[in-house]
Amino acid sequence: MIQKKVCLLGGFAVGKTSLVSRFVRSIFSDKYLTTVGVKIDKKLMAVDGHDVTLVLWDLYGQDEFQSIQETQLRGTAAYLLVVDGTRPATLETAHDLQQRTERIVGTVPFMVVLNKSDLAAEWRLDDSAVATSFARSAGVVRASAKTGDGVEAAFVTLTRAMLAR
Amino acid sequence: MGDPAVRPAADGGREPDARETGDALAALRAILVGPEQQALEALRARLADPAAQARDVAAVLPQALQLRALDAELARALAPPVEDAITASIARNPKPLADALFPVMGPAIRKAVAASLAAMVESLNRTLEHSLSWRSFRWRIEAFRSGRSFGEVVLSHTLLFRVEQVFLIDRASGLLLQHVDAGDLGVQDADMVSGMLTAIRDFVGDSFTVADQASLDAFQVGDLAVWIEQGPRALAAAVIRGRPSPDLRLRLQEALETIHLQLADAFEAFQGDAQPFEAARPELEACLRAEYRRDAQPRGRASAAVAAVVLVALGVWAGLAWRDRQRWNAYLDVLRAQPGLVVVSTGRSGGKFVVSGLRDARAPTPDDLLRQTPIDPATVEARWRPYQALEPAFVLARVREALQPPPEITLDLVDEVLVVTGRASADWLLAAHARAPFMSGVTRLDASAAFAAGLRDLVGRVQATVLLFIKGTSRPVAGQEAVFSALAADVRELDLLLSAAGRRAHGSIEGHTDSDGDPASNVPLSLLRAERVRDAVAPGVGHHLTWSVAGAGSNQPVVASASEAEKQRNRRVSLRVEVE
Repeated sequence: MIQKKVCLLGGFAVGKTSLVSRFVRSIFSDKYLTTVGVKIDKKLMAVDGHDVTLVLWDLYGQDEFQSIQETQLRGTAAYLLVVDGTRPATLETAHDLQQRTERIVGTVPFMVVLNKSDLAAEWRLDDSAVATSFARSAGVVRASAKTGDGVEAAFVTLTRAMLAR
Repeated sequence: MGDPAVRPAADGGREPDARETGDALAALRAILVGPEQQALEALRARLADPAAQARDVAAVLPQALQLRALDAELARALAPPVEDAITASIARNPKPLADALFPVMGPAIRKAVAASLAAMVESLNRTLEHSLSWRSFRWRIEAFRSGRSFGEVVLSHTLLFRVEQVFLIDRASGLLLQHVDAGDLGVQDADMVSGMLTAIRDFVGDSFTVADQASLDAFQVGDLAVWIEQGPRALAAAVIRGRPSPDLRLRLQEALETIHLQLADAFEAFQGDAQPFEAARPELEACLRAEYRRDAQPRGRASAAVAAVVLVALGVWAGLAWRDRQRWNAYLDVLRAQPGLVVVSTGRSGGKFVVSGLRDARAPTPDDLLRQTPIDPATVEARWRPYQALEPAFVLARVREALQPPPEITLDLVDEVLVVTGRASADWLLAAHARAPFMSGVTRLDASAAFAAGLRDLVGRVQATVLLFIKGTSRPVAGQEAVFSALAADVRELDLLLSAAGRRAHGSIEGHTDSDGDPASNVPLSLLRAERVRDAVAPGVGHHLTWSVAGAGSNQPVVASASEAEKQRNRRVSLRVEVE
């Protein structure tokens, strides 16, 4: 069994926690996020014949007021950048986070997840432009915490990228 | 060499030119010393080539160092560059040296800490030494049997704990490398707990300002404690229920050091596959310790030891009791031998020796006698009642105190009869005579000797008295008043003494005149003089002493009267007393 540390990053209220909640095993309550600033979940993956345990570090929403904790990122094998598709400002935050994370952990695989795909009417992002701006990402996917669409795919893609390294 | 142009040819042919000569010499030299020259060249080239020199030195360097391994000069020469190298290495990147030293630093630090802990245990030991409970007594025996210090035994009893889980966690990622538990706990999701432990540790480190290298080493929730030990690559976290003993941390450190040493390659290669860390399980399982109270252990040997101690204590107690009893009996013998002390009863009561009896006020104080023995006065209860001892010495002492005899008197007690000898006044003799029969130990007074002596004295004094009179009259001469007074006192004393002794006496008073005048008229004058004396001494005298007067006239002169002075001596009255 291979284990990988995966961080969940994203601006304030982009829906990181809701996005993964129904796909992961969780023993700690959400209040850890606001107290300790991190909550640990687990997701078992079977990708290309490999069993992989993803230990997910759900980090408290970051924005200009909430600095990223270097110690929490240490040792991460990959990360998910979550963006709120209805709030373009969160895309900026994601860019910023990606650069800061890369400075700390180096070039590890990451996925960009555009959340709230169920709110098509309020969608404010150009997906292809996003993909272009995150040229080194393992992929950019639309997902919905509400419907669950796209989440599993994001994990599979990210796991495959980690195994490829 | 000269100019070859003018040198004649040797054999009539062409003379060889200078180049040919040089070549020939060179050829000759090549033939004669060619190999040596080549070797010389090679040596020269080698000496000029630093790389070759380095190779040469490198080849012999170990042997050279070995040759002078014990030479202090070599150590001194090497010290500065080695120090510089270490300093430079640490300045560049301290991690390699820290990693290399980690397995040896741990034991060294532990040794130092153990020394200071030993001092602390010693101090604890002293603190507890005054504790005299039954439990501490048992622990003392255990310390004696096991050879441990008393403080250690106390600690081992005070602490009771169980290590339920041990996590081995990758320090960088927080991923779980290995996990062991006590087996009956049904622990799940150790990987998530491992991550959260790391996150909380990071959280504490990031949230509060702590010194470099400092980190969260322990936290406690109720009776559950989590102890974390940190190595260069991994953390060991122990979940403990109860109050762990301090040496558990040492055990954790040792386990972590051993794992780092044995699995250094696995740490280096770790990419998420925890399989190689299966090898760490034995070390981690050794940390799953549980300590229970010793109360449940068999008590066979402990009971025997306790019994032995009790027996020894009983023996000591019995010995001391026997010694005390001996001392007490000796003291009682002293009391019994003491006049004026009567021991009535002895015994023991309330852990004390008890003695009761009678004591004459003149006998020695029992407390003084007790102080002369090794017996502790606090262990003795004495009850003494006053009484009067009838031993002659005590009786005489009491009599002396009551009668206050004059120094001339000697008192003796013979068969309860108080015998008085010596001289004393009639008053004193009368008082003694009256009081003696009422004194304990005295049945009567025998003062016959004292009476006799007193009577003899008084009679002597009275008979020696001579009273002188004026010529032709019955009036005493001037200055005779004192003689009259003294005589009167002696006569009264004599009368008292006679009454005390129960005897009688008769006194004769006889008057005299000088030879002048008519002898017939001198007789009445002498009688008058005698009567005059009787009248002066007789009043107040009791019936134990009777008097008769007589006038002798001038028939019995003391001296033949020639001069007036001699005649005066004859004008007198003299007395005689006859005790019946």
